[in-house]
Amino acid sequence: MAEQLAPPRQAPGAVGAYVKNVRDTAKSFWEGMSVTLSYMFRKPITIQYPDRTDVPVRDTIPARYRGFLEVDMDTCTACQACERACPIAVINIDILKGDGKTTPKLRMERFDIDIGKCMYCGLCVEPCPTGSIQHTREFEGAVENFDNLTLRFVPDVLHPVVPYKPPKGAEAFPRIPLGEITRALLKAWDAPRPAFPSLEETAKAAAHGKPKEGALDPAALGRQLAAKALSVKDDKPKLQKVLEEAMAGTDCGDCGYPDCFGYSDAIAQGKDTATDKCAPGGADSKSMLETILVSLKTGAVPGEPAKPAASAASAPAAEAKAEAPAGPPLSQTLPKDELYKVVLDAMAGTDCGDCEYDDCDGYTKGIVYEGQTDLNRCAPGGEDTRVKLFQIMLGTKPPPK
Amino acid sequence: MQEWIDSLIRGWGHDPATWPWTQFLYLAFMGLFAFIVINFAAISAGIFSWAERRVAARMQSRVGPNRVGPFGFLQWVADAVKLLLKEDLVPAEADSVLFRAAPYFMMVGFACVFVCLPFSHRLIVADMNIGIFYIIAVTALIVVGIIMSGWSSNSKWSLFGAIRSAAQIISYEIPGGMALMIPVLLAGTLSTQGIIRAQGGWPWQWFIFDNPFSFAAFFIYFISALAEGNRTPFDLPEAESELVSGYNTEYSGMRFSYFFLVEWGNMWVMSALATTMFLGGWQLPFLSPAQFDALTGFPAVAAELASLAVFAGKTLFFVFVVMWLRWTLPRIRVDQMMNMCWKYLVPASFAGVIFVAGWMLVVHAVPWLGWAMRFVLTGVATVGVAMFALRTMKNLRDTGDKFDFSSNW
Repeated sequence: MAEQLAPPRQAPGAVGAYVKNVRDTAKSFWEGMSVTLSYMFRKPITIQYPDRTDVPVRDTIPARYRGFLEVDMDTCTACQACERACPIAVINIDILKGDGKTTPKLRMERFDIDIGKCMYCGLCVEPCPTGSIQHTREFEGAVENFDNLTLRFVPDVLHPVVPYKPPKGAEAFPRIPLGEITRALLKAWDAPRPAFPSLEETAKAAAHGKPKEGALDPAALGRQLAAKALSVKDDKPKLQKVLEEAMAGTDCGDCGYPDCFGYSDAIAQGKDTATDKCAPGGADSKSMLETILVSLKTGAVPGEPAKPAASAASAPAAEAKAEAPAGPPLSQTLPKDELYKVVLDAMAGTDCGDCEYDDCDGYTKGIVYEGQTDLNRCAPGGEDTRVKLFQIMLGTKPPPK
Repeated sequence: MQEWIDSLIRGWGHDPATWPWTQFLYLAFMGLFAFIVINFAAISAGIFSWAERRVAARMQSRVGPNRVGPFGFLQWVADAVKLLLKEDLVPAEADSVLFRAAPYFMMVGFACVFVCLPFSHRLIVADMNIGIFYIIAVTALIVVGIIMSGWSSNSKWSLFGAIRSAAQIISYEIPGGMALMIPVLLAGTLSTQGIIRAQGGWPWQWFIFDNPFSFAAFFIYFISALAEGNRTPFDLPEAESELVSGYNTEYSGMRFSYFFLVEWGNMWVMSALATTMFLGGWQLPFLSPAQFDALTGFPAVAAELASLAVFAGKTLFFVFVVMWLRWTLPRIRVDQMMNMCWKYLVPASFAGVIFVAGWMLVVHAVPWLGWAMRFVLTGVATVGVAMFALRTMKNLRDTGDKFDFSSNW
C-alpha cells in the first residue's frame, strides 16, 4: 500500500522504510556471518614465531640485515680499525706487543663486542681491510643476564690470537660461513652469568697494559731501532725496513698508504715527516718513529739511559731511577729550529689560546726563542704535554701540580 | 531435587516428613548444589574465555593462545591464577563499601539463574513452577551490581558505562521477556522442565518452528539476551574506545574477574535458556518424556547422559553463535540500540504474543494446520541452513582458499 502511494525506491514511506530496515538487518547478518564463518574454516595466515616457521627466521631476513657482529679471528689483522670506528666504544681490543722475533709482534688478548650496547650502525664493518668483522643475521639475544651479551671472540686471555697477515696484493680473504662463530658464542637465554673473576684473574686484569713478560718496553725498543737506523742511515731500503719495524705491521692502510711498506718508505725517502699516522701502533709506534727520526737528525740516539732498564718486578726506587732520563735534555742538543718542531709537536695543537699566547705557535716560540719558563700552560694537552715539555726542555719530570 | 533427597531418606528407612534431620539434610544438599553450580558457572566461563579467543583468532586469520596446555586450553587457568594473585585495588576517592560489594551483586544475580536452568532430564537444582519468571527477576539483580560499581568507582567512565548498561538492560528486558512469554503460552507452564517436556526430540516439535511468530520470537529473545549480557554488538557499556572499560574500569584483580566471569558465564545462561524455551532442551528423538520417566537401570543412565549431551550440544552451539556474532558485527550506537528495542523488537514481541494466542485457538480448531505449519517452517529453516552453508563455501572459495580447519592450531 505504502509503496503504491510513494514512488518506489526513491522515497519509501514509513512502512516501506521500516520493512526495508528489517530486511537490511537480516541480509547483513546473513552476509556478514557467512564471511566470518568462512574465515573460521581457513588456515590462519599468522605463522607463530619462533618455533612454527619452516626455516629459522634469520634465514628469511635480507642478506644485508645488520644483526649481531661477528669477527672471524682467522682473518683479523689486529689493525683495530673497527675499534676506532665505533662511535660508542662497543668493541674492545687488547693488544699484546712482542719483539717480532721470539714472540709475535702483535697478539690479541681480548676482542670483545658488547652486542647489548651495539647500535648496529655498521661503521666498524666498513674500514675492515679483510672483511673479518661482519654483521650477521642473528638477532635473538634475549638473556636473563646482560653480561652474557658480551661476545668474546678471544675466549681466553692466556691464549692470545696471532693476527692474520694478509698476502701482498690479496683482494679476497678466506672466511668461514657468516654467523657460525656468533651463533656458537650466543648463550641460552637462561644461562648463568659469567663467573666472577677469581683473585688471580683480577690481578691479571690489573696488570693489563703494564709491560709484560714477552712485551718490550717501547722506549727501549725505540732506542734499539734508532741505533740500527743510524747504522744504515744512507741505505734507504734498509732504513725503510727499520722504520717498518716500528709500525704495527697490520697493513691496515689507515695512514693513507696502501700498507706499512708504503708509509715507512715515504718516511725513509723523506717525503713524509708525520709520525702519528700508524693508528694500530698508537702512541708506541709514534714515539718509536719520533726517536728514530730525531736520532737521524741529530746523529745520536737521544735519552740513552745510563743503565739497562730494570725488569718490571724490581723495586719502585729502581724503577724511578730507570725512568729518570740520563744525558742532557733535547733543548741543549738540538738546534733551535729543530727544537721548535719538537716542542710544537708536544702540544695539543688546538690553538685554544688558553696559554695566553695567540696559538700553539706563539707559545712554542715563547718557550724556544723567548725564554718562557712556564711549561704548564697547555690545557688541552694536559699531563701528557706537561711531561713532554719538561722532558724536552729540562730533562726532568714535571713537579706535581 | 527435593524428591530425590526424600527418596534417599526413605531408602535409609525414615519418613522425610517426621525424620528430625530432614531439614539439615536439605540444607547440606543446598550447600552442595550451590557449590557445584557456582563451580560449573565459573569453570564454563573460564573455558569460554579461552574458546572465544581461539574463535576470534581463527576468524581473524590469527592463531590465538596455543601455548598453555594442548591447544592452549589451560590458558584460562593461567589467566585466572594471574587475576586472583593481583592486588585488589580500591581507588582512594571511591565509595569503598559499595565498590567492594558490587561484584557480589553481579555474582549473586548470575548464580541464582542456575537454580532453574535444566541440564538434562533429571539434572536441575530446583524445577520451580515459576521458573521463567524467577529467571527474569533475578537477572535484574545484575543491573543493581552494575549501577553500584559505576557509581561507587567515582569515575566518569564507570558511571557512563553503568548508566548505559542500566538503560540497555531495562529496555531489553521488555522484548526479551515478551518473547519468552510465547513458549510459556504454548506450553502452558512457567516451569523450565515443563516447557521442555511440552516440546519433542524432533526439530518440528520444537517451539521455534511452531508458527512464524514463535520463529521470530526466538530471534527477538536472542537479540535481547545479547543486549542484556552486554555482548557485541550491544557492548556499549564497556565500549573501549569511549569508556575505557565501562563500569569495571576501576576494578582490578579478583573483583574485576567477577565481572568477566559473569559476562562469559552469561553466554551459557542465555544459550541454555534459548535451548530450553525454543529448541526442545534435552528431548531425545524416539523417546517421549513419559517413556523417559519410566526407564530404570542402565537404559535410564544412558538416556540421562544422552539427554545431557543433547542439551549441552545445543547450548554450546549457541555459545559459539554468540562469539561468532561478536567477531562479525561492529558496535551499534546508543540511539540505534534504543531504536532497535523500542521501534522494532517491542512492537514485534507484543504482536507475537497476541498472534500466538490467536494461533493456538486456530490450531485447537484445525489440528492439521498446526502440523502443516511446523513442517513448512522446519523445511524453510533446513533450506536456509543449506543455503547459508553454500554461501559460506562460496565466500571461502572466492578468495582462492581451501577448507582447512585442522592446520596451524
